[in-house]
Amino acid sequence: MEKILDARGLKCPMPIAKAKKELESIGANDVLKVLATDKGSILDMQGWAKANKHINLIKQATETDENGREIYVHYLSRVS
Amino acid sequence: MAVEARSEITPRELFEQLVIREEATPILDVRNEDEFAAWRIEGKRPLTYLNLSYFRFIDDPEGNAERVARAGDTWIAVCAKGDSSAFVAEILRERGMRAVNLVGGMEAWGNLHVPVRVGPADSRFELWQVNRYGKGCLSYVVRAGGETIVIDASRHLDVYEALLGELGAGLVQVLDTHVHADHLSGGAELARRAGARYYVAAGEGFELHKAVDPLPEGSKLTLGGKAGLTIEVHPIATPGHTPGSTCYLIDNRWLLSGDTIFVNGIGRPDLGGHVEAWGRALFGTLHRGLLNSLPDDILVLPAHFSSPEELDRDGVVQRRLGDIRAASPELALPTEAAFVEAMRRAVKPPPEVYQQIIAANLSPARVPDEKASEWELGKNQCAASAPRAA
Repeated sequence: MEKILDARGLKCPMPIAKAKKELESIGANDVLKVLATDKGSILDMQGWAKANKHINLIKQATETDENGREIYVHYLSRVS
Repeated sequence: MAVEARSEITPRELFEQLVIREEATPILDVRNEDEFAAWRIEGKRPLTYLNLSYFRFIDDPEGNAERVARAGDTWIAVCAKGDSSAFVAEILRERGMRAVNLVGGMEAWGNLHVPVRVGPADSRFELWQVNRYGKGCLSYVVRAGGETIVIDASRHLDVYEALLGELGAGLVQVLDTHVHADHLSGGAELARRAGARYYVAAGEGFELHKAVDPLPEGSKLTLGGKAGLTIEVHPIATPGHTPGSTCYLIDNRWLLSGDTIFVNGIGRPDLGGHVEAWGRALFGTLHRGLLNSLPDDILVLPAHFSSPEELDRDGVVQRRLGDIRAASPELALPTEAAFVEAMRRAVKPPPEVYQQIIAANLSPARVPDEKASEWELGKNQCAASAPRAA
């Protein structure tokens, strides 16, 4: 199952703070897809996954949303 | 001594603390490791740093607060934009530490501009160095009588317009020493708003889409109007850092040297990807051109500095041309071949965004503020001779 966390427009530290909460509630085989507009989220998610052994950063992508905004997409899962 | 408990500090106040008062307050930088490695707060004295990313405080506030406490109890908390560091500073204050958040983070630190008066007070004439400290960018405002010129203006036009307002003088000319690669020029827009003329020489290899004129060597600007005192501004062609690089000699006393000469060395000739050709041009500029014939007691005012050590006791980045000539190893290289070889060896890949900034500075289109802020993050990398690592 894939769950979406829309963190567009949110400033740091909110995307990671919210992602942490969401990851606590999803299943072991679920994927959390985080949408962010802060470009800093790319390196921050990488750093977070490196520092926190319970977080797996599956992949990252840059997309353009319906308003032409650049969206940074992060796919996360839990490591038990 | 009673310490006022406060939760935040502005970039200007932090500048006063670290650069003017030369305090050495420890910095807790909560950005990720890569961002911290690339660019950090620097003071006049060496600072103590602790880099603990904010997401560690989300995972484990208690344990990381203890780590900070073991390293000290007074901190300036810093992040990219000032929100994550506010979150961390609050965690630390709740545990009895003195943690003050830098408002606006590194982005605001890189946008702080501090005007500093150069030279003695003179009611008819004044020269200001506008120091964009976090990025190491310098621009200039010159007033003679009721007229001013601005050189190498950043896109933060409010800084110049406020200073011009205080000086009570009209803006007549806006000059850029060259097409900048590390920051967006505000020159064209500043000139347009004031109805002034804007000059920049792009030179061969650049496609300039703006309607601007070069100011060729041999021409001159006269500043001062009818107010009694006039000064002359002489452009000096100094190709090398870019093909169109131009230095401006102000009143035969000051050389606004752009990125051609810095107080601790010279500008890199490799930013356009033509280190051989531009390197040869730079050697000619330094050894055969008009620049080479200027007397030693001319004061050099460059467009960048790399280290806070380059600020003198008055907070000005300036140095006698003779002292630069005596101290710069690049200027001692005797032959063109040796010089070009040294420049070739020093080639380092510039930040990728420099190509976008150059293109934007050649184009009349305005870059949105958010994009501009993102492009301009970090300290300039325009010097050929990087200082010892901080």
